[in-house]
Amino acid sequence: MFFFFLDLLALGCINAILVLGLNLEYGYAGILNFTYYTFAAIGAYVTAVTTMGKPPPYLGNESYILQWTLPWPVGLLLGGVAAMILGLIMVFVAVRRLRSDYLAIVSISVGLIVWEIVTNDVHLFNGSNGVFGVPPITGSLPISEAGYTAVIFAVSFACLAFFWWVARRIFRSPFGRVLRAVREDEILAASYGKSVFGAQLWIVLIGSFMAGVAGGLLIDYVSAFNPAGFLPVETFVLLAALIIGGSGNFNGSIIGAFLIIELLLEVSRFVPDFGRPDLVGAVRAILIGVVLIVVLRYRPGGLMPESGIRLYRKKKGEAKQPEPAKEAP
Amino acid sequence: MHLLFESIGFGLVTASVIALAAVGLSLQVSVTNYINFAYGDFMTFGAYVAYSVGAAGVNFFLAAAVGGAVTGLLGLAANLAVFRSFIERKARLITLLVVTLGVSLILQNAIVVIWGTGAYRYPIRMGNALHLGPFILTPGAIILILLAALLMFGLHLFLQYTRFGKAFRAVSNNNDLALASGIDVNRVVNWTWVVSGFFAGIAGVGLVLETNTLRPVVGFNELFLVFAAIIMGGIGRPYGAMLGALAIGLATEVSGMFVDSAYKSAIAFGILVAVLVLRPQGIFASRGRTD
Repeated sequence: MFFFFLDLLALGCINAILVLGLNLEYGYAGILNFTYYTFAAIGAYVTAVTTMGKPPPYLGNESYILQWTLPWPVGLLLGGVAAMILGLIMVFVAVRRLRSDYLAIVSISVGLIVWEIVTNDVHLFNGSNGVFGVPPITGSLPISEAGYTAVIFAVSFACLAFFWWVARRIFRSPFGRVLRAVREDEILAASYGKSVFGAQLWIVLIGSFMAGVAGGLLIDYVSAFNPAGFLPVETFVLLAALIIGGSGNFNGSIIGAFLIIELLLEVSRFVPDFGRPDLVGAVRAILIGVVLIVVLRYRPGGLMPESGIRLYRKKKGEAKQPEPAKEAP
Repeated sequence: MHLLFESIGFGLVTASVIALAAVGLSLQVSVTNYINFAYGDFMTFGAYVAYSVGAAGVNFFLAAAVGGAVTGLLGLAANLAVFRSFIERKARLITLLVVTLGVSLILQNAIVVIWGTGAYRYPIRMGNALHLGPFILTPGAIILILLAALLMFGLHLFLQYTRFGKAFRAVSNNNDLALASGIDVNRVVNWTWVVSGFFAGIAGVGLVLETNTLRPVVGFNELFLVFAAIIMGGIGRPYGAMLGALAIGLATEVSGMFVDSAYKSAIAFGILVAVLVLRPQGIFASRGRTD
């Protein structure tokens, strides 16, 4: 039982980093990235191939690039950097018109392409079988399973604390105000001399980095990852957690991550299934979709709405809560 | 040279499926001004309905028509139950897009609940390949291309020469002005969802005929080819979407001559990127009109 809770905490911290990163893009800047989890996947793969060295022969035929044996913190960083590069590509593709629908289309396309290439190209990350046998970050130390979970929990918690601090700093900084201005009205923000593109680029880079690190932590914990692990539905779960927790609120993201992902996904794994293995997942996904739409309709601010100084109020009857927006001084 | 004509033949089949889907989506976007990310799942749904109706022993063309009609009703239901209330509250575009993705998730998994995750095939055969001049096509493929062309021509007649088609074009051009001239905008929007759903359903059936597998994700995975087509044609311009689909269909198949066909969609994505970077308003968009 104790191990079960420890496991929930460790995975909860990793998920919270992901939701926090998505919050930077969607909540702060209004950038609709429909394939955020792909960034975590890239981080996971790159962390794996830069730390695990040559594939151990007893694990069967595994082929992947690089095969470096770097220390795990470097692997995590490289995972984050790789995700940033993907983010850079995505933003530059949509550069001319970073309108939310164009960017959403480009993001979905990027997700499908990455998925297709990773699945088809066996040399890259071992194709559809994925990479496995990633060594634990504790190296050859004799450590129990629960002990290792505790180590991962500690590292993830430290990362989460750091990213939470970053998110909080950004929210309160002039940069955060520019982001909110861009989210509310790009033309207005630009007319105040703020670089709309620059703001969006930077926040996608930071958000991607967080996704990459979270993906790296995940693969260091579970030691394997394959294309079945980053289907489009994963991003949707994060998005649901973010919106239910409170989009734009750095505390709400963490609440949402623990509440939604833990409650709905982890705990419900212990509910008996109804005979068909595919049914549980499908019903769960439908439930998430319904809850998300209901929340967006009746409580668009989520559990913890974004707070801030209100300089102007939108017209009555707006779907979104009155948005705080403040021009940079 | 033979191979080239063969690829062009396949490209025409792919193009007609994408064109059907793109025209439906483009029509909906032009009227409602937001993209429906559940559109791919509408296609899947239509294909499954047609499969079930066909499995009950109904003539296949009739089954496909039923699939289209039921998907049209699904589009109407989605608008009435979900999208309309967000529009009435003047929700932001970004919220609407998330909502349509939510509908996509619900629909995709509802399909899993109803039909399971297994792959199905349609009981009909496309027939033996025919040599038509330099092209090699099956009779089924030819019927598919002709039907797609016929449906799009029908939509063209409907939009250009009927009173209701005029109302469509008016709403898509300027919502407020249409309202002021006494057009029942709500009714037009509802019918848009029906027509768009119908095209999605038929395109889904065509897609399954072309690729020969029916799985819960077929439509979702096809979605960005459809996006590529409508972006090429200029978002919200049904006629541009047809040409965009032709370009995407031909490009994906002809490129198969030079690169591994597993990367077909990567090619389509490359085209999408090129269009977005070089000419974001669409290749076939006229001057003086954005969006």
